[in-house]
Amino acid sequence: MTIDGQKIIHAVMEGSQIRESKGIIPLFGVYLSIFSTDYYNRLSFEFEKKMSLLNLKDKSQSLLVAAAQECGYATFQGIRNSWEWDEIVLPMIATPEDQIQGFTAVAVAFGWGDLNVRQLIPGKKLVVRVTDSYEAGGYPEQYGNATVGKCYMLRGVTGAFMDLIYGADYPDGCFTFLAQETHCRAKGNSYCEFAAQRSPDQSVT
Amino acid sequence: MKPFNWQKELGREGHRLVFSGQPFAMHCHHYNINLQKMLEDALGSSGVEILYSAAEESGFHNFSFMLAQFTNIKTLKSKIEMASVIYQNCGLGIIHFQEIGPQGGRIVSPASHHVTGWLAKHGKRDTPGCHFLCGWIAGVMAAVFNHHTGFYHVNELSCKMMRCKECVFEVTVKNDD
Ligand SMILES: [Zn+2]
Ligand SMILES: [Zn+2]
Repeated sequence: MTIDGQKIIHAVMEGSQIRESKGIIPLFGVYLSIFSTDYYNRLSFEFEKKMSLLNLKDKSQSLLVAAAQECGYATFQGIRNSWEWDEIVLPMIATPEDQIQGFTAVAVAFGWGDLNVRQLIPGKKLVVRVTDSYEAGGYPEQYGNATVGKCYMLRGVTGAFMDLIYGADYPDGCFTFLAQETHCRAKGNSYCEFAAQRSPDQSVT
Repeated sequence: MKPFNWQKELGREGHRLVFSGQPFAMHCHHYNINLQKMLEDALGSSGVEILYSAAEESGFHNFSFMLAQFTNIKTLKSKIEMASVIYQNCGLGIIHFQEIGPQGGRIVSPASHHVTGWLAKHGKRDTPGCHFLCGWIAGVMAAVFNHHTGFYHVNELSCKMMRCKECVFEVTVKNDD
């Protein structure tokens, strides 16, 4: 079945108008905040820069991906168990693969970019393409052209989508999959592309 | 003159989420708190500085942009009211500016996204933890009083993450030393 992304965007925009008495937005089973992408870019890339000075650049990149993957795993678990999901998204879902489409539609609604599923091999591989990732847009403005992919948040989230569908039952399936960013606009490609496959130590032989 | 109505300011440009034309994103407490924990665990006080500065710089730019757009927001009272309305409507929490002037002041927050998120994920802290709000207040104060970022220093005196009654922030002019 086709997932109606516009319907999901509409529901998120409507839902994000609701504030409880503490000024918090409870939506899709999580607390949502709305803040500038500039903040997230500064935070991630300054962290990476500082860690690089300590010769810990690789570690900073894996920590940023892990922070997003663990978040994506918990967040989308909350989302798919929420009443909003049952009411708005579930009627459009016929297969586990449709659920991935539902997840990407929610990510688009959250302002994470124009996520588009390019390939899904059930249980094995997910390829997501994004032509307007805010991380890829923000990096060159501050730091010039990158030599490696810079979209750590979307990398982690792509892995989390596969973890939730094909990993062990929640909460034991996080990091079953790991995504690489094969193309990134920050390094001059015309789009960013993320490929999630089973983590090396989780491969089914 | 354009009246300020946050509901109208939050909208979409295609797949993009925009607030007053600036690119924004929705993120949940899992991500915001994971980032904070990652920074504190990996870098300690320098990690806190990164979070504070990111919130200060982006808060400053966003709020300066808003003030330039809404030229009818002229008085100190209306400027800080707009800041509180934005903070609350971005789901970040409730803040009350108290005794605010060009030399600084005091801000109280009885509830916030970061407090609720931190307590839900990690429970009580032993040290104040609202580094995001400290930085954001520093940026907004600099925008309100026409200073550069780094002009003010914001210190959190008590924090709900430590199970204090409310988060209390003290704003002072930073000494250049
Ligand atoms: Zn990218
Ligand atoms: Zn606090």
